Amino acid sequence: MILDYLVLSIVLFCLGILGVISRRNVFTVFMSIELMLNAANLAFIALSRLHESMDGQVLAMLVMAVAAAEAALALAVVILLHKHTGKLDTNVFSLLKG
Amino acid sequence: MEQSAAYLGLIPLLPLAGATIIGLLHLSSCQTCKLSERTYGILACIAPILTFLFAIKVFLDLHGLPVEARQISYQAFTWFKVGELDIAMGFFADPLSSLMLLFVTFTASLIHIYSIGYMAGDQTFGKFFAYLNLFLGMMLILVLGNGPVVMFVGWEGVGLCSYLLISYYSEDRANVLAGNKAFIVNRIGDLGFVLGMAFLFWAIGGSGFDYISLKANAHLLSSTTISLVCLLLFLGATGKSAQIPLYVWLPDAMAGPTPVSALIHAATMVTAGVYMVARFSFLYSLVPTVGLIVAWTGILTALVSAIYGMYQDDIKKVLAYSTVSQLGYMFAGVGLAAYSAGIFHVFTHAFFKALLFLGAGSVIYALHHEQNIWKMGGLRTKLPITYWTMLIGALALAGCPPFSGFFSKDEILYLALATGNPGIWLIGVLVAGMTAYYTFRMIFLVFHGSPRDQGLFDHAHEAPTVMTVPLIILAVGALFAGVLNLPAIFGGGQVVSHWLAPSLAELHPEASHETEILAIGASVVAFFIGITIAYRKFGSGAEVPVFTGFASFAYHTFRINELYDLLLVRPYKAIGSAIEYFFEPQVTDGPVQLTTWFYRAAGTVFKLLQVGYVRIYAIYMVIGLSLMSLLLSQSLK
Repeated sequence: MILDYLVLSIVLFCLGILGVISRRNVFTVFMSIELMLNAANLAFIALSRLHESMDGQVLAMLVMAVAAAEAALALAVVILLHKHTGKLDTNVFSLLKG
Repeated sequence: MEQSAAYLGLIPLLPLAGATIIGLLHLSSCQTCKLSERTYGILACIAPILTFLFAIKVFLDLHGLPVEARQISYQAFTWFKVGELDIAMGFFADPLSSLMLLFVTFTASLIHIYSIGYMAGDQTFGKFFAYLNLFLGMMLILVLGNGPVVMFVGWEGVGLCSYLLISYYSEDRANVLAGNKAFIVNRIGDLGFVLGMAFLFWAIGGSGFDYISLKANAHLLSSTTISLVCLLLFLGATGKSAQIPLYVWLPDAMAGPTPVSALIHAATMVTAGVYMVARFSFLYSLVPTVGLIVAWTGILTALVSAIYGMYQDDIKKVLAYSTVSQLGYMFAGVGLAAYSAGIFHVFTHAFFKALLFLGAGSVIYALHHEQNIWKMGGLRTKLPITYWTMLIGALALAGCPPFSGFFSKDEILYLALATGNPGIWLIGVLVAGMTAYYTFRMIFLVFHGSPRDQGLFDHAHEAPTVMTVPLIILAVGALFAGVLNLPAIFGGGQVVSHWLAPSLAELHPEASHETEILAIGASVVAFFIGITIAYRKFGSGAEVPVFTGFASFAYHTFRINELYDLLLVRPYKAIGSAIEYFFEPQVTDGPVQLTTWFYRAAGTVFKLLQVGYVRIYAIYMVIGLSLMSLLLSQSLK
């Protein structure tokens, strides 16, 4: 039973990673990150159920709150980037190149 | 039994605080918001005068204790503690340091006051007094330190101030070079001091590294170790106190302002070496052979520098060589285990040499910074106070009875004879005659005869009161300080020697009254011969001499500077250029360049990984995290 949940969590997480790595649209990358966070939440809750303690659920709530805050900040950054360059392609933002 | 007294810590602190305050005021002042010279002068004089009052208190406190227990100490804080080495910033006063304390703070107070007049109109008036206060603080740490390490702090501190003040007029390159020379030559001596200290610690330092513990444990040392330690410490003393072979810096140090020459390079700092030997008398008295080396070095320095002194034409150089020469006497004294005689000569010398330098300063001030004695003459009428006070100083220096220098110098010469060293005694008497000669050569040339430079003479004027009063006070000291240690033959009680006795491991040689009378008689005869020759040659005017042969050789100080240049400076520079032009490009540069090439190549490779796309970095992260998880799961199994 618990294994099903964990496998689902891992699958979701890997999909998220795949999205971050392969997609170039800023919004898609952003959604993939959210997917990864929620995959982690699923694992938290499943294990919380298994151990019959509330700790995992509390953490899941915390992650959601952080994700919401992060979404607000990230969207603001995206808007600024769009204003600056007029594009939403992550390949345009390659200032880190050595 | 030791007494504790917190005010001991305050004594070095006061001038250091004064230096900080004056220094900050000077740094924060600008052209328009400058403090007046009067304000700086008053600020600067507070610390030395207060420390002088404290010095009297130290003396009285010690005097109130029974003879055997005359020690007070104060431990401010633990400075550092590494293994067995536990060094406290502690201060310690016994009869020896209290005597040093008294005359250091006394002359320092007078010279601070005198400097207000001498330095008037100087652009960096505040800086000068900040340095002077700093010097006093460091000197007091040197005198009051409770062990070799704290003494070394002061030792280096006074060296620094000496350097700063020699190159005070730093617009002139020669002055800066003189400062460098003093600093570098002193560094050679300091190496000896540090090594001596290290050996001492290695041998017996584990059970306490202050004077009291060292004295208590001195019997554990082998005589070889003691000899080595004493020789190394003496090397330090030759640097600081300008003895053969490291005396060359002191004459050049006269580039500094004259009050500095009086305070640092005559009365206080240069006597630190003598003080140090006396402080370690518990070691030096155990190795008479090393003592003999010290004494012979001293007396030969006295002889050589007296020869130089007879031919100099700069008034300050004459006094500088006479200082070196008198320091030689002091080392002859302490080397022969006549520590109290040596220290007593330090004491009287501080008065008359400070007086002579301040008098010379007054002459230089009157003649608008002319220092050549061959351009002076007849100044007796123009500068009466300077003349009379300097005459007293000169008589004291030349050893005329009953001035102070006579008693202290005679004590050393008598003890040389009493300890069975007629060679040292003979040279000492010879030097005494030479001292009388060159001192009065200077006095006659400056103050007697007719003016050699009418223009300078006409503009000469007596110094202001703030300068003449210290001269008069010091003249009184130079006149009467000798009475403090009147030997038994003149019906005196040797007060200073008895006062110092608990601090020093002194030998008291027995000698007959005839020996004492012979010593005194010889000194007096030497004095009269010296002064007579000086009077014959210079008493009623003399022309600028042309030096030939030996005189020219002596005038150029036996070309010793050139010799050092040839033997030490040039080889050193040659090694430097060899390294610069051969060793570095041919030998070391290759491997160094290879490492930079390696880093550059590695950089080129790793640069390829940095593509600049965030998603690629995400891949790296995933790979890294996966590997870490894999490793973790492997190790958990």
